Amino acid sequence: MPEERVLSPDINFIRDLKKVGGETLKKCYQCATCSVVCPMSPDDRPFPRKEMIMAQMGLKESLLADPDIWYCHNCNDCSKYCPRGARPGDVLSALRAKFINENAIPSFMAKIVRNPILALAIPFVVLFLTLAATGNLHIPEGKIVYSHFFPIDVIEKLFIPLVGLAGITYIVSLLRFWGKLKTLNGTNYQKGFGDAFVETIVEFLKHTKFTKCETNADRKNGHMLVFYGFVGLFITTCWITFYYYVMKIHSPISLGDPMKWFANISAISLLVGILAIIGSRMKDKGINTKTSSFDWTFIIMVLLLAVTGILTELTRLAGIRQIAYPMYFVHLMFVFYIIVYFPYSKLAHMGYRALAITYYKMVGKDVM
Amino acid sequence: MAIAPDKTVLVIGGGISGLTAALETAEAGTKAVIVERNPYLGGRVAQLYRYFPKLCPPYCGLELNFRRIKENPAITYYTLSEVEEISGSAGDFTVKIKQKARYVNEKCTACGACVEACPVERPNEFNFGLDNTKAIYLPHELAFPMRYVIDTAVCKGKECAKCVEACKYGAIDLDMQDKTIELNVGAIVFATGWNPYDASKMDNLSFGKVKNVITNMMMERLAAPNGPTKGKILRPSDGKEVQNIAFVQCAGSRDENHLNYCSAICCMATMKQATYIREKNPESKVTVFYIDLRAPGKYEDFYKKVESDENIQFIKGKVAKIEEDPETQDVIVTVEDVANVKKIHEKFDMVVLATGMEPQTRTQRFPGGINTEENGFILSDGLPEGIFAVGVAGRPADVNTSNQDATAKAIKCIQTLVGGK
Repeated sequence: MPEERVLSPDINFIRDLKKVGGETLKKCYQCATCSVVCPMSPDDRPFPRKEMIMAQMGLKESLLADPDIWYCHNCNDCSKYCPRGARPGDVLSALRAKFINENAIPSFMAKIVRNPILALAIPFVVLFLTLAATGNLHIPEGKIVYSHFFPIDVIEKLFIPLVGLAGITYIVSLLRFWGKLKTLNGTNYQKGFGDAFVETIVEFLKHTKFTKCETNADRKNGHMLVFYGFVGLFITTCWITFYYYVMKIHSPISLGDPMKWFANISAISLLVGILAIIGSRMKDKGINTKTSSFDWTFIIMVLLLAVTGILTELTRLAGIRQIAYPMYFVHLMFVFYIIVYFPYSKLAHMGYRALAITYYKMVGKDVM
Repeated sequence: MAIAPDKTVLVIGGGISGLTAALETAEAGTKAVIVERNPYLGGRVAQLYRYFPKLCPPYCGLELNFRRIKENPAITYYTLSEVEEISGSAGDFTVKIKQKARYVNEKCTACGACVEACPVERPNEFNFGLDNTKAIYLPHELAFPMRYVIDTAVCKGKECAKCVEACKYGAIDLDMQDKTIELNVGAIVFATGWNPYDASKMDNLSFGKVKNVITNMMMERLAAPNGPTKGKILRPSDGKEVQNIAFVQCAGSRDENHLNYCSAICCMATMKQATYIREKNPESKVTVFYIDLRAPGKYEDFYKKVESDENIQFIKGKVAKIEEDPETQDVIVTVEDVANVKKIHEKFDMVVLATGMEPQTRTQRFPGGINTEENGFILSDGLPEGIFAVGVAGRPADVNTSNQDATAKAIKCIQTLVGGK
């Protein structure tokens, strides 16, 4: 007798999934071409064929605990070779977007982030009220120094608690996901978490897995530049904090300073990377992913973050006060967007993917 | 109402559907003209080793048809011919037929002396390039008409003319010219048939790159006693007897990147071919990789019979990667075994791609104002009055269905000729 299993299809889940970019999922007829052409798919319980039928059946709970969705790098060989135009790559992408929303704590944050206008209106109001409260609702005279406009301690009081809160909810979401992965496999691990995790991070730094994407090879460079852009800007933030509190060096920092070099290179890396990603998504839409609005929103926010950041610096150097201070204000809105909303935006995939790959390494399924 | 004795049905295509349409109309009292592009009649059926599900030789039925043609003065046929123009309307069409020179006349006795003399070789398209013929060749052993033909693409012409010297019957005429024939016909049947889909278009299935990957039509020729291996199933790379073989179903069919429809015959053809290898090589093992098996109606019994052979295994999962073992030239197939959720990497002596049928009307434009649907099949609804499509010109079908269709359309032709609807 085969094992008896009760399936509980979630019809709303199927409908939602179609709305966030998975509209082709019902075309799949389970031929399994995708599982074979995928350069990432393992021999044991390969994907994405099984995810396609799980999605068709609305098996949300099984999919929530599925590491393969996050192991997928969206190369889209599956969509290229799919005989039915079911676009498994897009469906997996939609599943990721859906689960980032699903895992959001508190859940209303996901709703806010899904609405870009509301999502930007919040930092606008917060920053505007802060300026009003600190009596800075005017463009300061004299040499452009942004801390005259937004004092550093005000910014810190505002951002640090919000980022802290977002960080905590993100860690809780990741721990929940990890709990689900562990129930999949019990205790049969070939490798400890520490070793597997360190290997994963090293792979992230090298972008090794992206190299396997043949159909979408040029995406690797864009992704890598954005990745390093963000890492660089994070280091810059730590660096400038060190200058401010330990070295007592206050901004604006001289252009010859190594920190400034580092910061500028990171910003350019972010801008070039995001432009490359936009380019690769625009080029040949037939093969490359049919990007969902979830992805596009994030891509545009990153682009605007980079552009406003660079303009903030350039207008300051050019001494155009009337543009520089408002530009700084707008830039802070995007900074707020990226860092406060990160557990609810596309950026959240980073943690889930890291855990999925770590899990793959622990159970000995990693294809690299 | 009687049929006027001068009324003619033009049949474009001398395959099984066209032969049936021509014979059924002519035997009811019309005249029939068959126009065939190849130098022989019989079409794709002439290349088959056996029919499913009875496993009888298709040439048996073809020969009966050829005898009916020979005995019936109302049927004319033109080989090496294509219809170039169609004008007029139902009951009164004017058609222009271009007949290419054969360079061999009716004096040919098929003795083969010319072949001995001919110095030039060409790939034998009847056997899908699995062997060669000379530039002057008999299309195949049982060709109808039983007459040699010269491939002008490779023949050196008059400067060689060794065949002319060798032929003691004066059957070879290198001065023969192409001809244009104009005819008045009452009804027209498109029996333009199909070609095997070009398997090299599926880059992941490596046809043309991995030597021991062949198509199902090539398999028919390998199994046929008049084929390139005289009926022995030997693999192309080294002539080794095939003991472990895989069939890849839906190779191009049901695939929007290739043929966006089910070709209707490949499942049955594969099951039939599994019996070839099991019969010829008793130790052999067969694995069929499929998405869905389609053996409709009475064919279910044949499926049950094939399935009951324990050396024939059916695995659900589409083969999506084929590679060559560089040392043994074995074929490595990668597929997800869907039932067990595991990828398989398995080696076979030879792999057969069950390629589908691509209608001739998809790759060639025909006169007559015919419309094709998105896949290239002729749309019955949009056809001008007095023009009909039969067999695979209309949709993918097996021989049985094609013959039923051709007989039904023969009635339609006769109705057109007598002025009814």
